[in-house]
Amino acid sequence: MLQLTNLTISQGESILFNNLNGEFNKGEFWGIIGQNGVGKSTLLQTIAGINHPLSHGSITVQGTNVNHMASQLRAQTFSYLLQDQEPCLAFSVREAVGMGRYPWQSKKQDDEKITETAMQTCRINHLANKSILKLSGGERRKVEIATCITQQSDFLLLDEPLNHLDLVYRQHILEVFAQISQNHCVMMVCHDIEAVKQHCSHVLMLLANNCYLAGTSATILTQENIGRLFNDHSQHD
Amino acid sequence: MLVGSVLTPPASLFDPSSPHFEIIWELRLPRVINAILVGGSLALSGLLIQNLVKNPLADPYLLGVSGGAATVQLLVIITGLSLAQNTLFLFGFMGSLGATMLLLRLSYQGRIKPEKITLNGVVLAFGFAAIISFVLATASGQQIKSMMFWLMGDMSFAQPNFLMPIIITLCLMLLLKQHRALDLLARGDLFALKSGVNTHRINLMIFIITALLTSMAVAQAGTIGFVGLIIPHLVRMMAGYQHQQLIPMCFLVGACFLLAADTLARTIMSPLQLPVGIFTALIGVPVFLWLNRKV
Repeated sequence: MLQLTNLTISQGESILFNNLNGEFNKGEFWGIIGQNGVGKSTLLQTIAGINHPLSHGSITVQGTNVNHMASQLRAQTFSYLLQDQEPCLAFSVREAVGMGRYPWQSKKQDDEKITETAMQTCRINHLANKSILKLSGGERRKVEIATCITQQSDFLLLDEPLNHLDLVYRQHILEVFAQISQNHCVMMVCHDIEAVKQHCSHVLMLLANNCYLAGTSATILTQENIGRLFNDHSQHD
Repeated sequence: MLVGSVLTPPASLFDPSSPHFEIIWELRLPRVINAILVGGSLALSGLLIQNLVKNPLADPYLLGVSGGAATVQLLVIITGLSLAQNTLFLFGFMGSLGATMLLLRLSYQGRIKPEKITLNGVVLAFGFAAIISFVLATASGQQIKSMMFWLMGDMSFAQPNFLMPIIITLCLMLLLKQHRALDLLARGDLFALKSGVNTHRINLMIFIITALLTSMAVAQAGTIGFVGLIIPHLVRMMAGYQHQQLIPMCFLVGACFLLAADTLARTIMSPLQLPVGIFTALIGVPVFLWLNRKV
């Protein structure tokens, strides 16, 4: 169980979150929605421990503060999908996806098996030997998603996973995430309200002025709330 | 080992009474060993630094190592403090480590900032270059000759040094143990961090190992360009991108390359001995351009 307690995150002068509380459990598929710049990515990165903005409050997993976790344990707990890919060297797809196994130090055969399965799940096994630099934007995105799945962490933190993906594949990968969320916790930043409505069990809606709503999809995604999400500009005006 | 200013017959290798025996075992063997160690160190450092700052144009001298060593050594020569090889080696080593520590200090804000290293390193190098130019402009003719040789990279000062192979072995072992982390780091610092690599520690390790290896290489042989820049690219073209293969391959290819270049440097215009830096570029440029065309 991931618990956010009185989490306050500020970046520079502005406060992104003020006293955010929440509980995220195995078996839940969370959609995180909100306007641009409201702090969705910052929230995921702070949870994953790769961004350390000024923050108060605590983030704990089963009672352990994530800031006190060693790097490898943290990666065993959280797998974070970056919003953008960083430029890099020409590893093959198989090598790249296999890198998700780094935190586990498990047997090589197991690693290879898990890597192959993830590539099949993400439908990229035909690209296995291709250099990741020669892929299209969408194919590269699939490789990154497969890498996160290979990592087999308790929490899958996905920052706009649907970017670059075609309509058919979106549907497929959303079903994959839903499948994974049966035994893990998936948290997905997404701008596609329809997709969230269809696939996510829970929704965290981040509104202006440090307000937020959290709960099951059915209770949060009402006409009124969605209206608030898009019309609330008070912070910027 | 058998070729050089004096041609020695192979038989003299094992004949203590031959006048060539001493030349081979006392002068040439240390030089050959040195070429291997220096070449390997430089290539390995190049591989590491390119991974650290994520810039294919980075070479080990980016850390200000060569500038620092050269400045201190030249100052020692010019002030007439000492001309003995051992003292110069020591001063060079201190100068290069000092320069690296300065760079580390400038690029360290709670953690190493690779993006700062590139810019700070380049700027520092300009500073050192200015001091070197100043020293050269005010030096006497005789002094300039010996300095120039050193600035261009030269293996002929080779002194047997038992510390170097030990440190290199330790570094190689440490790096090979972390080969998977280095792979992840090559995909970006954020990627490595989120995949469970302690990037702060690994970056610091890379920095220190590179500084150590390059400082030793510079103190031994001066500024030999090109090896650290080109060999890592060459090896990546041949061996792929996984550090498990890259690390040993880089060391071996760098060693062979510098050995070949140094052998040419001391034989081609024999008995005249040329600075090896000329040959690393003369061989390296066409080989690299040809390979780059093929890939």
